[in-house]
Amino acid sequence: MNSPTAQALPERGWINEKIFLGMPFWEYLRSLATPGNFVAGLIMAIGVPLIAYRFIFGLGAATNLSQTNPWGIWIGFDMLSGVALAAGGYSLATAVYIFGLKEYHPVVRPAVLTGFLGYLFAVLGLAADLGRPWNLPVPIFLSWGGPSVMFEIAWCVVLYLTVLGMEFLPPVFEWLGWPKARMWAVRMTIGLTVFGVMLSTLHQSSLGGLFLMAPTRLHPLWYSPFIPAYFFISSIAAGLSMVIVESALSHRAFQSRIDHHVNIDKLALGLARGASIVLFAYFFIKLQGVADGGRWSLLNTGYGYWFLLEMLGFILLPSMLFAYGARNSRITLVRWTAAWTVLGIIVNRLNVSVIAMNWNVPDRYIPSWMEVMVSITLVTIGISTFRWIVNRMPVLRELPEYHES
Amino acid sequence: MIPHDILTLYSAKMLEYGIAVLFLLLFIPFWKYVQGPSRVPAFATSRAATPAAAAAEWFLMPLDRAFHRGHAWLKDSADGIVTVGMDDFAAKLVGPLSRVSLPAVGTAVGQGETGWRLEAIDGRTVDMLSPVDGTVVELNAALSSAPETAETDPYEQGWLMRVRPSRLRANRMSLLSGQAARQWMDETLAGLRGHFAPGLGALAQDGGVPLSGMARAIDAEHWDQLAATFLLTGKEDLHA
Amino acid sequence: MNLNRRTFFKVAGAAGAVALGPAKTATASTSDAVVNAGRRGVLVDATKCIGCRACEAACSETNALPGPAMLDDAAVFAKPRTMDTRTYTVVNRANTTGAAAPARFVKRQCMHCVEPACASACLVRALDKTPTGPVVYHKDRCLGCRYCMVACPFSVPKYEYESALPFVKKCTFCADRQAKGEAPACTAVCPSGALTFGKRDDLLEMARERLYAKDSGYVRHIYGEHEVGGTSWMYLTDIPFEKLGLPADLGTYAYSSLTQASLAAVPFVLTLWPPLLMGIYSFSKRRNDIEAHGTDRQQEARHE
Repeated sequence: MNSPTAQALPERGWINEKIFLGMPFWEYLRSLATPGNFVAGLIMAIGVPLIAYRFIFGLGAATNLSQTNPWGIWIGFDMLSGVALAAGGYSLATAVYIFGLKEYHPVVRPAVLTGFLGYLFAVLGLAADLGRPWNLPVPIFLSWGGPSVMFEIAWCVVLYLTVLGMEFLPPVFEWLGWPKARMWAVRMTIGLTVFGVMLSTLHQSSLGGLFLMAPTRLHPLWYSPFIPAYFFISSIAAGLSMVIVESALSHRAFQSRIDHHVNIDKLALGLARGASIVLFAYFFIKLQGVADGGRWSLLNTGYGYWFLLEMLGFILLPSMLFAYGARNSRITLVRWTAAWTVLGIIVNRLNVSVIAMNWNVPDRYIPSWMEVMVSITLVTIGISTFRWIVNRMPVLRELPEYHES
Repeated sequence: MIPHDILTLYSAKMLEYGIAVLFLLLFIPFWKYVQGPSRVPAFATSRAATPAAAAAEWFLMPLDRAFHRGHAWLKDSADGIVTVGMDDFAAKLVGPLSRVSLPAVGTAVGQGETGWRLEAIDGRTVDMLSPVDGTVVELNAALSSAPETAETDPYEQGWLMRVRPSRLRANRMSLLSGQAARQWMDETLAGLRGHFAPGLGALAQDGGVPLSGMARAIDAEHWDQLAATFLLTGKEDLHA
Repeated sequence: MNLNRRTFFKVAGAAGAVALGPAKTATASTSDAVVNAGRRGVLVDATKCIGCRACEAACSETNALPGPAMLDDAAVFAKPRTMDTRTYTVVNRANTTGAAAPARFVKRQCMHCVEPACASACLVRALDKTPTGPVVYHKDRCLGCRYCMVACPFSVPKYEYESALPFVKKCTFCADRQAKGEAPACTAVCPSGALTFGKRDDLLEMARERLYAKDSGYVRHIYGEHEVGGTSWMYLTDIPFEKLGLPADLGTYAYSSLTQASLAAVPFVLTLWPPLLMGIYSFSKRRNDIEAHGTDRQQEARHE
């Protein structure tokens, strides 16, 4: 028999309600003892001291970077792949607020949150990689290297982090219960979205533009004057795929937080359609790059086969699978294809930064276990932050009092 | 820019134009294929994986069903026989069941008239209205041994009966689906929340309120009358 | 070209434009840069180098570095060495065949390019090209992003990975000595005349005289005259340049030109994206309004 819960409950403080999910402190602590949290805790218990070790003893002690290979997976994975996969923020915001596709509204908030956390942790990965991260304010406030692509990236990322943070203010204010502030934050949405798309176009492409400076180091199949366009277009596909994956995982993991009215499958199919078209176009522009450089003979080499695998297996194949899955409502196929596409984007970014870079030099780079562990730790902290926020703020569903009809 | 030898430039340029034309030719059919007709997938009930204590504030409303205001649903099938059941709201309202009394095969049922009776574990009963006119052709045999299925999985395993409809098109006029059904559920919910004690309102969205047997949670003494009000089978609702 | 850029910046007016404003705008063509008369350089004549490595010793002393390895040991030439964080210059023996062929040595160090890739890559101008020639390093600005290492076609900048407070290390062209009117330490001590310090234009003249002298035996190419837009340290040799270990596949374009096209697009994006996106927004908003409330005509009809 259910005990009647209609009686008045003891008054809980703001912290208990907002931070401890309405539970008393000890009960909240006990509720944290889950297997997932245990694994995350274990990872952080190893990873956080490793980060300290890197800063105390220097990059040489913690990484396999060398004079020949100055960039490793903290750049290739944490920074480049992280930023590409966080592109769901601007892609979904554009779809919903600029193209007016209101049916995707249920996924725009998690996409913006994924975007914000993605960028935040990409920047943290960068800070781990920089030799002197305390000088991060220098390119913003003190000394401006205008001709540098890196300079433009630094500015764009700083501005874009701000934009994403501000785009995420409405759910924060709803959580805090400040309707006036929330209204003011919502009014900024369209302006922020436009600004954000602009910044994203610039820095997504510029991250590729960095490698324009390495014509002799980067393998000719990946080196092209069009790398900026490749990075930008693939970031759209990456963002859409990441939103499909994230929404699938969130709807399983956060059962009590989702809006059961939302047909997430239908939305995923729509996103798959978009990703399919983008990947199709991306395949052809990469093909154009091969033609433009006259590089056909290179396809018949070891690196050529790897390039073909990236093109056919990680770009053309997911494009076709997304198309088939979207058309025939195969939601499981679409989800697995999205995960595969995410992997493909990571493969591409690692190719450009680490694998096809210095391809003709005997001293090749392999990440140290510490570099891998730090990357895993940063991702774990990012996911944990995502969970913390989603469990408290209206990200996966709207509060009824703010429900826009 | 890697300099080109002028001679290879000619063939390279022709190839580039060729690839671009190829892309344009392929793009049109590809776009059509991708945008092609797609069925809206049936709403998967995720309830089965949810621990009973997890609170969700909304109720599952699959898009492939049509709903009657008495909180019953019906679903078409190719052979012309419709499947009938109770919706998630009704299931949660009444809570765990000890018996579902269905009409015998061959009985005539009428839309808006009493269709079946639910008996909760404390022995009290609530009637529900049939969403359709027709003749009962099959009952869900599983319910006689496991009546709780009707409450835990109301849309799939917990279907109640199959009916051969006599006036399906006319019946449909009184049924709700899609956006209209959602709006109706919003209104129902608003009506239900009015019954909650004020102090509970803020906690409702973050969990803590068990949903199974909501009527009992609101009013333990007269929950069956409260449930009947929502299911439109209260004394004053029935057309004698 | 500069004028157009400034005008665009005014029009765009966004933060990005302001940020790009005060910095040096992008490269002019190489011929303009080479003509700049104040630039100093060094001519390295490999036919005159005797491999004494006095230059290495002088460099270490001037920069307070530990002395060169194996200073009096000829075995040091067995394998080519590279610069590192404690060695700003190395002398290698070239790959000559046959015992009878004369030994050839080549001094390697930062080339102090006319349009350095590293300086254009550096987002804080930590690596900065000075008007007189040296590419200097302002260590206080450096973030340690190591983009300069990716950009340099000669793989010159080295990084202090072993330190918790790391810096980039490379030859400074003795910029402080040059400021006082002195020659770089290495060129000052060279006993054989292999290193000649002077104005770049004068050195080119000297190099051409040597090259085209009768029966001189030199390879008819001044390495560094045009490579990657020209370098301050230029080389003459009578054996193929690849044997000296100098990269053979560099074009004559400055590396900074590789990124300028994509950077030039920035003001365009800043200018064009807002009207484009707001246009789409207005269009889709209009379409959604019509869907919700009907067209203007239908609305009027309802009000009647």
